[in-house]
Amino acid sequence: MNLDKLQVNAIIRSGWQSVDLGFLMARAWFRPLYLAGLLAMLPLALVLWLIFWQSPFWALAITWWLKPFWERMPLFIASRKLFGEEASPWSSIRSFPLKDILPWLLWRRFSMQRAFDNPVTVLEELKGEQRRQRLRVLHGKYSDVALGNQFICFCFELLACFGIALILDFFTPESFDLKLYDVYGDLSLLGAWVFSLSGLLAMTLTMPFHSMAGFALYLNRRIELEAWDIEISFRNLANRKRIGESRPAGLLASMVLASLIALAIPGGAEAAIDHDRESASKLIEEVLQGEDFGQQRTVRKWRFKDWSEEVDEESFPEWMIEFFEWWEENVDWSTDFSGAAGLLKIVLVILALVLVIYLLRRYRGPLSSLGRGARRETAPEVLFGLDVTPQSLPADVPAQVMQLWAAGSYREALSLLYRASLSRLIEKYELAFRASHTEAECAALVRAQGVDSLSEYFWQLTLVWRRLAYGHQVPDSEIVQDLCQGWTSEFTDEPQ
Amino acid sequence: MLDTRYRVEIPGGINLEAQVVGPIPRSLAFAIDLAIRGIIVFVLSIAAIPFGAFGLGGGFFLIFLFAIEWLYPVLFEVFWRGQTPGKKALGISVINDDLTPVTLGTSLVRNLLRSIDFLPLFYLAGLVTMLCNRRFQRLGDLAAGTLVISVRESSRPASQKDIVPLAPSTALLRAEQTSIIDFLQRSSQLSEPRQKELASLLEGVTHEKNENGVEKLHRMGAWFLGVR
Repeated sequence: MNLDKLQVNAIIRSGWQSVDLGFLMARAWFRPLYLAGLLAMLPLALVLWLIFWQSPFWALAITWWLKPFWERMPLFIASRKLFGEEASPWSSIRSFPLKDILPWLLWRRFSMQRAFDNPVTVLEELKGEQRRQRLRVLHGKYSDVALGNQFICFCFELLACFGIALILDFFTPESFDLKLYDVYGDLSLLGAWVFSLSGLLAMTLTMPFHSMAGFALYLNRRIELEAWDIEISFRNLANRKRIGESRPAGLLASMVLASLIALAIPGGAEAAIDHDRESASKLIEEVLQGEDFGQQRTVRKWRFKDWSEEVDEESFPEWMIEFFEWWEENVDWSTDFSGAAGLLKIVLVILALVLVIYLLRRYRGPLSSLGRGARRETAPEVLFGLDVTPQSLPADVPAQVMQLWAAGSYREALSLLYRASLSRLIEKYELAFRASHTEAECAALVRAQGVDSLSEYFWQLTLVWRRLAYGHQVPDSEIVQDLCQGWTSEFTDEPQ
Repeated sequence: MLDTRYRVEIPGGINLEAQVVGPIPRSLAFAIDLAIRGIIVFVLSIAAIPFGAFGLGGGFFLIFLFAIEWLYPVLFEVFWRGQTPGKKALGISVINDDLTPVTLGTSLVRNLLRSIDFLPLFYLAGLVTMLCNRRFQRLGDLAAGTLVISVRESSRPASQKDIVPLAPSTALLRAEQTSIIDFLQRSSQLSEPRQKELASLLEGVTHEKNENGVEKLHRMGAWFLGVR
């Protein structure tokens, strides 16, 4: 048993989770598991169906009774597959696991935890008292789960059996009578064959899942009792330590080694530092051009036309008047709405109307905003802690800025200029700044307006402001002067 | 490597994990819900008799029947953390496949498509689709983008107070720390020889043999559990 090659993730699961793992195992190895069961069964099934050709249900019953034996085949395959060994369906038949088969076919045929107990017999090859003790240890709290597995898989088997027959019936044309039933409504010989064969198919199809669920439950118990997960983890840890120790001892040695490697591969070592701003930004551009970034998508969708919003709310719309007129003419109150059912009808109609109105109101926002792109939101009053309401600004902003600048309060000066710009942008261009936007995002919004001089100016201002605000780099006085002049030309030349 | 684990990476590189749930627990949960619905319908049908089986009572009964058939799972899933009573009993729950809670929309879709999963009889189509993908989604789940996962039980045994903790001499990865903690906490289930065998694997870390190795690992486990 080599746990390194274990094909399932060894963690401790609850009973139901391990049953689910069993279904995954059955899914993953379905072909060999299915074929192993089928190949073992087929010769006998052929003989039986030939012997009992007039009453094939006997053949099915005998095959079904021998199921504990057939189930050993997929189990054998899975026990090999579990540790990554190749196992062909033939190998299980060659091994022909007959161990302790009689009890399994006689009184233990009624066991409700067969799939769970099977590995103890087939793989651990325990008998008698030893087996009983082993099962006592294994069962623990998982008996219910094993029982549930048996019961539900039996249901699945029945379901598949009738389902397959029914699908056959569904897909037969009406005009073509399969004659599954005779004139008295009893099953005909053909019907018996169809149902017994679909029973055989259902049995073989569910077998891998049922036995793997039991096997996974057994496996989970072993993992729990023998701490397979801890063993795997400890082995990995020990390996990691061993590899760590086999390296040149001591920090110094590894540093020397690292520098040697660095010398040997100049490009690799220098790559991290040898970039000036120019080439770095070029490199970044290149990376950003790649497929991982900046995908473009063309989205087509319907949107509402921009209807004028002036709807006279006082008068009734035309259709409503028409509707009521129609109602007056066509609906007779005395016959259509009498009695309790009539009352109920009215209640239901009202409820439906209320629902429609509610839905219209509920989704009015998103629907009406479709036509106008982003919703116009109330302009924020504070951005990045700056008050951007027009009332907070002095009358002559540039003069005030220069005055503050001359007085040496650089921060106040630039912040005034910056927030004045924001305020004007909100006011004049109706830019939809949100309180959550950053400076750069604001600048991007301005750029989206498409006015080049404005966006250029605002970007310059943003850069200067950011450098001062966060980087504490005071710009030259000329720059501030330029910015003030720019402000005047950008924001005050046209009268509001 | 086979595992029932389902993993979603959310922005920020964080992995969210869940264990998907297969047909057997789901069938049992469904059977429990079916029984509960059956009892409700039975009680309602008795209650409707005084109002006339073919009149008002019958009408209301049919409306309730409709509502229970189609809305019972939806309402429970949306308002009860993705669990119907049956799912609650089995410790499983419905969730969107990005591991956000189910919404009215997704729950409605997955439950309306029950009628397709039901074909040709008693959810055979649903069972087959569940077995056709490794997340055990039936058609309704695939259409709605939902999963059934098991609800994590948060039951850790109490920490070991009577063990003198010992700081490990070397740095250990998180998974390794967890396995040493597991070794301590599951020691009551493991046989003596098995414990020694496991401890001998870590001789390179503990520099001890046999009982001493086991004891040292236990003390390290207590340290990782936060005992000081």
